[in-house]
Amino acid sequence: MSRAEIQPDAPLRVTQLCKRYGDFEVLKQLNLEVEPGAVHGLVGLNGSGKTTTLECLLGMQAFQSGEVKLLGLNPDQLHKSHGGIVSIFDSPSLHPHLTVRQVLEHASLLCERVVRRPEEVEALLGIGRYSNFRIRTLSLGNRRRASIAQALLGSPRFVILDEPFNGLDAGGVDDMLALIGKLNREEGTSFLLSSHQLPYLEKICSHLSILHKGQIVVSDRVEHLFSAQQSRLQVYCDDVVRACAIVQDIRGVTIEDNSATGILTLQLDNVAPALVNQRLVEKGIMVDELVRERASLTSLFHDITARDPVAEVVS
Amino acid sequence: MNGFVAALKAELYVTLRSTSARLVLFLPAIIVTVRAIVVKLSETGQEARDALLGQGATTTSNNAWGPLVDSFSTGLTLLSLSLVAYAAWTFANDRDTGALRHVLIRRVSRMGLVLAKLLTVFLLALATLGLMSAAIGIITAMLWDFGPVVEDGYELISSAEIRTEVALGLRLAIIPLPAALAFGLLVSVLAQSATQAVTSALGITLAMDIFKGVLGERAYYLYASFQPSLIDQSYLQDVSRLVRGYSDVMIDNRVLQLNEWVPFPEALMFIVLALLIVRRKTL
Repeated sequence: MSRAEIQPDAPLRVTQLCKRYGDFEVLKQLNLEVEPGAVHGLVGLNGSGKTTTLECLLGMQAFQSGEVKLLGLNPDQLHKSHGGIVSIFDSPSLHPHLTVRQVLEHASLLCERVVRRPEEVEALLGIGRYSNFRIRTLSLGNRRRASIAQALLGSPRFVILDEPFNGLDAGGVDDMLALIGKLNREEGTSFLLSSHQLPYLEKICSHLSILHKGQIVVSDRVEHLFSAQQSRLQVYCDDVVRACAIVQDIRGVTIEDNSATGILTLQLDNVAPALVNQRLVEKGIMVDELVRERASLTSLFHDITARDPVAEVVS
Repeated sequence: MNGFVAALKAELYVTLRSTSARLVLFLPAIIVTVRAIVVKLSETGQEARDALLGQGATTTSNNAWGPLVDSFSTGLTLLSLSLVAYAAWTFANDRDTGALRHVLIRRVSRMGLVLAKLLTVFLLALATLGLMSAAIGIITAMLWDFGPVVEDGYELISSAEIRTEVALGLRLAIIPLPAALAFGLLVSVLAQSATQAVTSALGITLAMDIFKGVLGERAYYLYASFQPSLIDQSYLQDVSRLVRGYSDVMIDNRVLQLNEWVPFPEALMFIVLALLIVRRKTL
């Protein structure tokens, strides 16, 4: 099957995936879809089934029932994607006796279409000076960079990254986030990121799924997830008492605090801060500053995983 | 097919840069060379001792054929054991390191990968055999003289006859090698780790060596019975005696035929089993 013959399809579509180890059901009718061009985060507690999910998706493990399609291909046909799918695993899966350059040359042999030369990806990932170092002598962070470098030799359409930020220092994480963003924007590459590093996912992901006890309990665009959450708004203005009277008429706004601090604090439920600002300005209130305290992914994750997932499957 | 060729190229790239593969390649050649030198030193020492004791005539023959066949017997034993261990290590180790996953996701099917690994091990076996044969040929020619077996001035066996028998002995000894390598790869696919794979493959190979003696006639339906090994029953053992002038060597043509035919279906069976198992294996 040539690249042109592959059906245009969602990068990933998982339907009713079930996986058991003996009597223990790890994945319970799991559904997941990654849209084309999305950077989709998959988060979950330890033991929630993230790695098992990825291994089932990539055909490394058999599963009992359900359907998995990656770029329209079954997990046992991924080699027919002609390099359209690449994956980088939690532990950098490289031949330890090869040097960084040899790893990239080896990966080039498996690439149908090499779009970047090994020295280019070394420079891109900042590992050029380790080019002649054996993989086993590198730090975990640099091994991870080498692992990512080999994935960038071709032109993947869908990249699956398992814990991509593990072992990376602050600069490395920034580089990684920038790289994911660049590939996503410039080449339209779709990503599925499995990670515990929620603040990083929050920065880069367009979509998010929360895996809890073998099920996807939440899956949506990140802005939708946050908009469903109440956020707080601090209003710095010249007349707190009048401002308080104005905003209390706005539907979805709850006044939290207008005490002696001189700051009006509001709880917003699906209300844009711009609307609050507009009403205040229309009534002649001088607004100095609006500070929005948005719900974080961490708080959202903790809220959801604390609930009973079976009763509260969102999507 | 393109995936298989890519996998083969990638496998060869890794193998050529692997210390383990280099060890497998050079170790038999080094060992047989060292062994030949030690044997020659021992023979020379014996001759010197005999001369000092005034026994006059030399007690050892200077004919190269005996040491050549013994070197092949030693080398092939070592070669088959080290290659079985390598075949068992190769797939399981790639699974342990996770390197297998990149190959499978990118371009190569599971079955294509197993076949590429098997072919790589076969090519390594050929290279090892070639290097070892060259080392044996050179060292025996340097230390001894090739010639007919002569006793009391009479030529018992001519050089041409010896060459024919040695060639037959080597051919029969090499025939079981693909089955042994396929067995190693099958164990590699079955095992949970590289350590388990290597110990199991070597353990079972040595167990077959031990049990073939007690299996009687049934042992001739086992590829391992025809391999040069620690408890050697191969035809090469008979050739070793033949080229030293022993006339009581009995050659059973039925056994020679079994030697020629039994290893092939067994090799095929191991390959098919490995291909079937790898399709469902968690990697």
